[in-house]
Amino acid sequence: MKRVVSLVLPLLVLLLAAASCGGGGSSNGVVNITVWHGYEDVEGKAINDAAKRFNATHPKIHVTVQNYGNADYALQKVLTAIRGGAEPDIAYLYGSWAANIARSPAAVDLAPLIQSDPSINWNDFWPAERQAVQVGPKIIGVPALVDNLALVYNKKLFDQAGISYPSDNWTWDDFRAAAKKLTNTSTKQFGWAYVNDASEDTVWRFDALLWQAGGDILNSDNTKAEFNSPAGVKAATLLQQMATVDHSVYLDSGNGNYANLFNSGKIAMLFTGPWDLSSFTDVNYGVQILPGDLNHQTISGPDQWVMFDKGSARKQAAWTFLKWFTSPQQSLQWSLATGDLPIRQSTTQLPQYATYTKKYPGAATFVLNEANAAKARPVIANYNEVSQAMGQAIQAVLLGKAQPQQALDQAAQKVDSVLASGQ
Amino acid sequence: MIGRAARSEHVSGWLFVLPAVALIGLFGIVPIIWGAILSLQENDLLTPPTWVGLDNYRTLIHDPVFRASIHRTIVYTLLFVPLSVGGALAIAVLLNARIRFSRFYRTAVFIPVATSTVATGIIFNWLLEPTYGVVNYLLSFVGLGPYGFFQDPDQAMYSIVAMTVWGWLGFDVIVYMAALQGVPDELVEAAKLDGAGRWAIFRNVVFPLLSPTTLFLIVWSTINALQVFDEIYVTTRGGPLQATTVLVYYLFNQAFELFHGGYAAAIAYVLFLITLVFSILQLWVGNRRVYYS
Repeated sequence: MKRVVSLVLPLLVLLLAAASCGGGGSSNGVVNITVWHGYEDVEGKAINDAAKRFNATHPKIHVTVQNYGNADYALQKVLTAIRGGAEPDIAYLYGSWAANIARSPAAVDLAPLIQSDPSINWNDFWPAERQAVQVGPKIIGVPALVDNLALVYNKKLFDQAGISYPSDNWTWDDFRAAAKKLTNTSTKQFGWAYVNDASEDTVWRFDALLWQAGGDILNSDNTKAEFNSPAGVKAATLLQQMATVDHSVYLDSGNGNYANLFNSGKIAMLFTGPWDLSSFTDVNYGVQILPGDLNHQTISGPDQWVMFDKGSARKQAAWTFLKWFTSPQQSLQWSLATGDLPIRQSTTQLPQYATYTKKYPGAATFVLNEANAAKARPVIANYNEVSQAMGQAIQAVLLGKAQPQQALDQAAQKVDSVLASGQ
Repeated sequence: MIGRAARSEHVSGWLFVLPAVALIGLFGIVPIIWGAILSLQENDLLTPPTWVGLDNYRTLIHDPVFRASIHRTIVYTLLFVPLSVGGALAIAVLLNARIRFSRFYRTAVFIPVATSTVATGIIFNWLLEPTYGVVNYLLSFVGLGPYGFFQDPDQAMYSIVAMTVWGWLGFDVIVYMAALQGVPDELVEAAKLDGAGRWAIFRNVVFPLLSPTTLFLIVWSTINALQVFDEIYVTTRGGPLQATTVLVYYLFNQAFELFHGGYAAAIAYVLFLITLVFSILQLWVGNRRVYYS
C-alpha cells in the first residue's frame, strides 16, 4: 500500500500543478479570456496597448494577450493545446490554415454570430479577407491582417538606367524589358527577384501572374487542377524567359536575402507586400500596382483571428473583444502604430487616415491595390498539397530543369489525384 | 523468500530511480507506443482518426518520393560517417602531438559543435550563396565556379555533407583525443624498440587500441546521419526539387505540412527499422574486429 501511495502522490501533484496552469475562466463577475498571437517588436507593443485600452473600457471582461512565438508554427501549437483542453479563446492563425482549423470541433463557426449581430458590419471587410475565412458554409475567423503584392522599385536604379518609372498600365513586356535593362552581370545587379524555395512564397507570386493571364488554380468546384491551362503556361513561360534567357532574376533560396539585396541597391524591382517596406531604409523606393497581362490582378494574403469554444460566457466575451479590436477606429489605431494595411474599407474614410498614408509612404498604393485582389486561393483542407505540387513545378521551370507545359502538367496530374482521393 | 530488509531495499531502490523511469517512460516509451498506433491510422491530427491497418505501409512501398528519400538518406550516411570519423581520427592524431598553440586548435575544432544549428545554417547560406557568397568569390581566383551549392539540385546534398561534417567533426575529435590519452606509453615505446616506424606504430598499436572508440563513433554517427534534419531544415528545406529530402525531412513534410500524421508515423517506423539493421550489423562486425584490452 505504502508503495502505491508513494507512486501515486507525485503523479497527483503533477496533475494538480498542470491543472492550475490552465488559467482563464470567470471570477467575481469578470470573464477572463486569453488571446494568442505571434507579434513582436512594434506590433507586440501595439497589441499589448490595445488589450490595455480594452480592459480599461470593459470592466466585465479581462483580456490577457500571450505571445506563442513564431506564427509559422502556430497551427501545431494550437492543435496540441486543443488536445490538452488548454486552447486559448482566440488565436492568430494564417489564412492558408482556414480549411484545416475548420475541421476541428473546437473552432467556433462565426456565421450565426455575424448574421445575428449587424454591428460587426461584416461587408466592410475587404472581399479577399471575407473569401479567405469562408470555409463552405462556415466562417472560421475574423480578419486580422491583409496584405497584397505590388511592384516595389528602386528609383535611383531606374534613373541611372534612364528608364521611366513603372506606370499603372505596364504590361508584362514592359516589365520584362525593364528588368533586362536593369540587370548588370558585372556589378551583380538584377532587375527582379523571385523567391525560389518551392514553398507557398514561390507559388503565390505565380498565382498573381496566372490570374492576370486569365487562368485559375483549380476549377470552380475545386475538383480538378486548372493551372496548366494556356494562361498558366504563359505565366510560367514569362518566369522561364526572365530567369533562364535574360538572367534578369535573382533567385532567392527562401531565406529572405532579396530584402537585404534590394535595400543595398542590388535588385531593382520586387513583387512584395507592405510588411517589407520597413526594412527598406537605405533606398528611395516607389510602389506601383503589378504589371499586367489581361488585367492587373494581385493576390491577397489575409490572416485571421480564430475563436475557440470555451463556454458561452467566454465565447460572448471573445466576440465582444474581436468586434471592438477589428472596428474601423481600432483598425486605424493599429495601422498607425504598425504600418499594417487597414483591415476595413471604411477605415480609409476616417479623417486620421491621411496621417497614416503620410507616415507610411507607399501604403496608399497597397490600399488601392486591394481592389485588384479579385480572386482568392482555394480554401480547401488539402491546399498545402496543391501548393507543394505547384511549387515544385515552378522551381523546376526557374532552374531550367523543365519546360513550362511539361512541369505544370505533371503537377496538375498530382493535384488531380490528391483532389480525387479527397485526402 | 525475500527478507524484510531486502524488500525495503528493493522499494527504496525503485524510489530512487522513479524520477528517471517516469520521465523516460513519459517522453520515451509512451511516444514510441503511440507512434506505432498512429502508424495504423489515418490521422490528420485535427479530426478523429480512422483505423486503416497496414494501409500506410502499403502506400509507402509504392511512394516514389519515399523511395528516393531512403536512397538519399543512405547516400548521405555513407558520405557523412567515413568523412567525419576518418577526418576526426586524422585531426585527433595531429592535435595529440606536442605542438605549439594546440589548445587553440582544439578549441577551434570544437567551436562548430557548440554553435547552434540555426546560426550555422545562416552562416553557410551566406558563404555558399551562388552570386554574392564568399566561397564562390574565393574560388573565382583559382578559376573555379561559380557553383550553385544549396541552390543546385545536383550539388545541394554534397553541400549539406560538407556543412554537417564541419559541424560534427569536433565532437568526434574530442572523443578520439580522450581515447588517445589512454594509449599506454610503454606499448608505444616497446614498438619503437622493436624498430617500428611511425606508421607501423599507428597501424599496429594505436589504431587497434582505439577500435572500441571507432566502433562507438561509427554507430553513433550513423544513427545521427540517418536522422539528419535540422541542418537541412535551416538551409535547403528539402530542396531544390527535393534533392535534399531525406527520410526525416519527408516525415516532417508529411506530418506537419500536409497533415498526414499516420503516414508520417509509418515513415518513422521504417526509419527505426533501418537504424536497427544498421546498428546490429555494425555491432556484429564490431564484435569481431574490436580489440577490448
